[in-house]
Amino acid sequence: MIAEQEGQAGAFDAGEVIIGHVSNSSIDHPIIHLPTLLGINFSVTKHVLMLWMVAAFLFIVITWSTQKYLKQERPIPTGFMNALEAVVQFIRDSIVLPSVGRKFLNVWTPLVLTFFFFILTANAVGLVPIFEVLGLFNHFVLHAEHDSMIGLLLHGGTTVTSNFNVTAALATITFVSIIAAGTQAHGFIGHWKNLAPPGLAWPVYIILIPIEIMGMLVKPFALTMRLAANMTGGHIAILSILSFVFIFSDLFHSALAGVGVGVVVAVPLAVAISALEIIVVMVQAYVFTLLTAVFIGMAINVHH
Amino acid sequence: MDNPLIQVDPGLFIWTILTFLVLLGLLGKFAWKPLLAALDSRHELIKNSLDDADKAKQELERLQQDSKAIISEARVEAQSIVAKSRSEAEKLKGELRQKAKEEADSIVRNAEKQIQVETEKAIAEIRSEVVDLSLLVASRLVKKNLSREDNQSLIEESLEQIESHRA
Repeated sequence: MIAEQEGQAGAFDAGEVIIGHVSNSSIDHPIIHLPTLLGINFSVTKHVLMLWMVAAFLFIVITWSTQKYLKQERPIPTGFMNALEAVVQFIRDSIVLPSVGRKFLNVWTPLVLTFFFFILTANAVGLVPIFEVLGLFNHFVLHAEHDSMIGLLLHGGTTVTSNFNVTAALATITFVSIIAAGTQAHGFIGHWKNLAPPGLAWPVYIILIPIEIMGMLVKPFALTMRLAANMTGGHIAILSILSFVFIFSDLFHSALAGVGVGVVVAVPLAVAISALEIIVVMVQAYVFTLLTAVFIGMAINVHH
Repeated sequence: MDNPLIQVDPGLFIWTILTFLVLLGLLGKFAWKPLLAALDSRHELIKNSLDDADKAKQELERLQQDSKAIISEARVEAQSIVAKSRSEAEKLKGELRQKAKEEADSIVRNAEKQIQVETEKAIAEIRSEVVDLSLLVASRLVKKNLSREDNQSLIEESLEQIESHRA
């Protein structure tokens, strides 16, 4: 795809290519056109498609292995089920249980588990160059038109969690869950009363209540920014380093210079950053999951 | 705000919430709920199994102690039976010996008595034989039958002679 764009534009514009690889495909050229409802364009862009792919993949893999495991006469987990079960148990016993407590454990564990697996998979898919391989295949073999399905698929990044709209939506679910958890544990009025500690002088509340309301909103905002920025940043770093190949080719008007820089600097560095990205992928999924569990726990077990 | 990285896209926002909630519902129903239940039930199973193993171990220990007690009891009983039967045998042996001795004694006594009776009988027989013979001899000598009184006195005389002779 990089080569393709280079061919069109003549000179290589690194910024354009990188943004094209990390951002969503244009809403004006969606993969599937859908009508606009209430002024909102529901057309399926690349990121919507990736959301569905991630969700479908997770549903099939997790449900299939769980059902297979449960249908056994003697439930002994093997292979993938072992890993899945270990992760599920870790999230339940080490993330949800300490913050939420035993009483509401089974209410919030499914949500936290789904958050973890969804974010982890969405993060990880971004590291696999599926569409770049498809683009290469298209460039040399298929020669599909820009407006064809394959042509449309090639636009836009694959990491949905690097899109602020996606992470904001996930953080909104966390935000609603916090209120729901507080309401479930203390009643609707009780939850809002828990925002500020009781028994203080009234002038304190004038300062405290706005701060608490800000804090309430800052939590999901921080979740949104942290995840999206982390997932965007790593990809930009990898793509920038790989851009050296083309920048140097342009600079010295020689493909050899670009390949040389690629072999010596760009590819080794990109490999190292990709390795780092694997850690980031897991850490960010863990952090989002952990913070969601902690925030829900804070609404249930109020400490002043 | 032309930068596609920070473009506001409410469609994507709503799609994300919908996708996530559908995934949550499906996974919750078909994966998380049964899986968490299975984890809990296995937790229970392992706990119960360990408890059972502990119980079985205690039971085994108790049984071992029981069997040890039974064995030692049986040993003591066997020893007492052996001792008892030994003493009984001893007693029986003594009784038998006593009885045999008594029997032997009575046999000997009977034999002695019989011998005495037989002897006396023999002596009486001999005596009558002697009388007959003397009578015969005397009658032959006298060649005539004496009167009964004479006979009697003669016999008395002869007998006295024999008695004195014998004495």
